[in-house]
Amino acid sequence: MPLSNNKVADDGTACEANTPEEGKTMVDSLIKVVACHRHLASCVGGSTDSPHLRQELRQTRERAQKLTLSCRQHLTSRLRDKGLPEAERKDAELLWVAFSSSLELFYADMCKVFNMGNNFSLANTCALVQTGMQGDTHEVAARALSLPDLQHEGTGAQSDSVERQELSQLEQEMTQVDRTIEDMELKVNVLRWTVEARGPQNGELVSTDSASLTLMAGDEEAPGGTAERSQIFMIMVICGVAAVAVGISLSVIFLA
Amino acid sequence: MTIRNVHDCGQRHRPRVACLKKVEALVLEMQDPTSGVKSQTQRLVITTIPHALTGEDVVAWIAKRFNVDAAEGCAIGTMMVAFGYIYPLRDHKRLILKSDASLYRFQTPYFWPAQQWPVEDTDYAIYLAKRNIRKNGVLELHEQEQYNNLHKWLNHKWDFIVMQAKEQYRAGKERKKPDRVVFDCQERAYWVVHRPPPGSVSAMDLGLLRLIDPNQEESETSDYFRRIIIFTEQCIMRPRVKSSVSLGANPWLTDDPAYWDLNSLTIDNPTRMRVERWTFSFGELLSDPRGRDGFRLFLKKEFSSENLAFWEACEAVKWGTASTIHEKAQQIYKTFLARGAPRWINIDGKTMEVTVRGLKHPHRYVLDAAQTHIYMLMKKDKYGRYLKSPVYMDYQRRATDPEAHNFTETQLAQNAKNRRPSLSPIILRQQEEEQQAKLEASGPVDLTQVMSKLDKRNMLKEGQK
Repeated sequence: MPLSNNKVADDGTACEANTPEEGKTMVDSLIKVVACHRHLASCVGGSTDSPHLRQELRQTRERAQKLTLSCRQHLTSRLRDKGLPEAERKDAELLWVAFSSSLELFYADMCKVFNMGNNFSLANTCALVQTGMQGDTHEVAARALSLPDLQHEGTGAQSDSVERQELSQLEQEMTQVDRTIEDMELKVNVLRWTVEARGPQNGELVSTDSASLTLMAGDEEAPGGTAERSQIFMIMVICGVAAVAVGISLSVIFLA
Repeated sequence: MTIRNVHDCGQRHRPRVACLKKVEALVLEMQDPTSGVKSQTQRLVITTIPHALTGEDVVAWIAKRFNVDAAEGCAIGTMMVAFGYIYPLRDHKRLILKSDASLYRFQTPYFWPAQQWPVEDTDYAIYLAKRNIRKNGVLELHEQEQYNNLHKWLNHKWDFIVMQAKEQYRAGKERKKPDRVVFDCQERAYWVVHRPPPGSVSAMDLGLLRLIDPNQEESETSDYFRRIIIFTEQCIMRPRVKSSVSLGANPWLTDDPAYWDLNSLTIDNPTRMRVERWTFSFGELLSDPRGRDGFRLFLKKEFSSENLAFWEACEAVKWGTASTIHEKAQQIYKTFLARGAPRWINIDGKTMEVTVRGLKHPHRYVLDAAQTHIYMLMKKDKYGRYLKSPVYMDYQRRATDPEAHNFTETQLAQNAKNRRPSLSPIILRQQEEEQQAKLEASGPVDLTQVMSKLDKRNMLKEGQK
């Protein structure tokens, strides 16, 4: 699809996406980044809170902002294009709803991070809540930034003034996102009751990851350890029976 | 877009916010490595997760910190669990603090209850979708219902919700196994607090929404004083009789439906409190349908049931639909007021004249004068006699005295599980109407019939003579 008419003023960043597929990819990446940001935000104030975490949060936020800008340009230009065919308009509207919903989640998470950042200063590590988390969140941040690995720059320590600077910057970004949401509402007229979801209600199984389920389920039964041990015992019994069956069949073949 | 203007109707000014801040300060105190609560490791099959607390440690710490006894400490701890600052690792649906070796853990600050951000339905939908994606069919009944409801109302964002759920799930898989377990527990605990299963008491229940901000200073205009005057006048007008007879098991605390059954409309033996209430005033007797039934029985024996029937018919006109007024008024005239009517009521000439004149152009209150006359008649004459009559004495004798409950903990839990909704009001209304029809069909004492029977008897007697 050729470059759409430049009715919308260019915001200064390069307009990357022109095709609907690229638009969908951008919105999908934004959703992914928002999901990762949520995981990172849930660690703030907990036992894994560290300057690294704050840095990862900042990097994730920057990426989200970039994606926001390009998505917004793309969608605004497409939806204000009067000559858009009906099917493509529906697609664009779906994308628009997804985009504004992810922005809202992102905004809520930023508010929470800002609030928690005010309450939990990294200088005072014994006030951090012991939540039981141990590992770090490098992989999550790497996923958000679409990098195979995450390099950490600088030392671990972070002074008070740097923290305050970060928080004020976070506040600015929050107001920016807020304004983006409002602008989107005003500039583009998408009637939400006309937008219909396409996909299935439940979504297919991503994977049968029952490992953490069993860990949690084992937790629920009264003597959790013995339940797990009985499961292992059952597995061993079944293996033994299978081995015996194989042995018998082999001997039958041998003798026959 | 979700509507972001939070119309919390002054809820942010409610004392709960101050309470949450205090609990947060307490939780932060508990984290201190030297003077805080001792933490242990939770051993699962392959992994160990640190920072688990036992209930008894928490209770002991609280008791020492506030210098209170263990029961009070347990109550404070239960409040912390109910708000969601600490969550149980076993039996995650019951938000209480057990002062034994059962394990608990602190909730991460991201999931702490906060007054300024309402808990979004979108987030709940994403959480349920995530659980559904992981393992189909793991949602409980109430969660399934809410999921379907959310699917209906958030349909426009459903693609986004499913995709966000998948992405959050995939991002979660990037973490290490013990952290994944901890995060799942945290999220689950958060939603148990904020979307409690039905039948459980929720600490996040803010009560009735207030339309005004209670901390706002109100300017003392004349309107303000007028409202105060009306309010105090109404207070004075209310009957101040209170009886202290036992009420039985409180259904809101014990989930025992006996209270509703005992006070229903069709019960044979009303409770003692109800029977006593009929002695307070005639209005009380008439406003209780059961009382009215008893009164009707008494009047039937005295052959003056037409008074009560007339009064009830007038009430029907007053409260009925406007289209039926004309018809009902005509019916009443034919049955009660006309000369030689089957159930003729005895009202004085002037009232009769006024009523008949009004019936030419009937309106809702056309029978008001006659109704008041009959009401006063019943009150002055029949009511006193009723209270001394054998019918009423019988009620007093048969009255039940419900006792307070003595349910055990397990019985209470069982009652909570067996809670069922009562009969639909539609069905109750149908039952009422059926009863009404039966009453009418069973033949009110028709004066002409009675007169004719009396005549027949007289004739027989004369014949015998």
